[in-house]
Amino acid sequence: MTVTHQIRRRLQISAVLIMAGLLVEAVCLLWSRPIAFVVFAAAGGFLISVGVLSFLYSLVSLESPAPK
Amino acid sequence: MPTVAIVVLVVFSALLAGLLVLRPAITIHPGGKILAFGVLFFLPVFCLLVGMQNEMDRSKSTAFCLSCHIMESYGKSLHVDDPGYLAAAHYQNHRVPADEACYTCHTNYAMFGTFKAKLGGLRHLYVYYLGTQPRPEDIKLHEPFNNRECLHCHLGARSFEQGATHNADPATLPAIKANTLSCISSGCHDVVHNVGHLDNVKLWTETSQ
Repeated sequence: MTVTHQIRRRLQISAVLIMAGLLVEAVCLLWSRPIAFVVFAAAGGFLISVGVLSFLYSLVSLESPAPK
Repeated sequence: MPTVAIVVLVVFSALLAGLLVLRPAITIHPGGKILAFGVLFFLPVFCLLVGMQNEMDRSKSTAFCLSCHIMESYGKSLHVDDPGYLAAAHYQNHRVPADEACYTCHTNYAMFGTFKAKLGGLRHLYVYYLGTQPRPEDIKLHEPFNNRECLHCHLGARSFEQGATHNADPATLPAIKANTLSCISSGCHDVVHNVGHLDNVKLWTETSQ
């Protein structure tokens, strides 16, 4: 697998995590119950944080392909 | 920011993230890289912060506190048609904001008070969903009610500072201010919610303007 493919794969993983976290957020914002507050902070916050950190890590962890 | 606007922003951000899942190759172009940074860093962080602020504000609302059925009788106690009921008198006369009535009295007006109130709320959730729910009349405060919470509003008020009962004994007012004489449990303002005795009380009907 080339570096480009690895970067794309990591971007996809980050995007999936962030998308899942954002959807959890959206549901919790519409669901006005105390448990929604916890799900928002715990599940939504966790997924978004892991997604963002994973994205930032993908930027610095892999070497760019050498310019042609 | 209204909740609906935040939800729209969050869903829009999720759709953009979905676009990156389906077509990661768009990041090959400079515009795609900027889009990826916005979608995978800026927007989610912004949505999380704005959403958290919205959740924190909503968690202060009276409706939020009363949404657990165990709190129904406490909500009912706010509508007792008797000025001797402390919580009802404060709620009905807007001595506390009616839409944040529970939070206004039950938060801690010291540093990290809101944070402590949220931690207490987490304990309530644990008991509500995973523990044994007590009867409403058996619910006790985590710690004795501190006069500081009353004095946050009443300190300096004429009715408090110059009230006849408060000044009948020169030691009373300093003791209240030092929290050595409780406003609530000293026998002066001890009828607060009294949820165990709400069956035969007359209730006030709230009419919105």
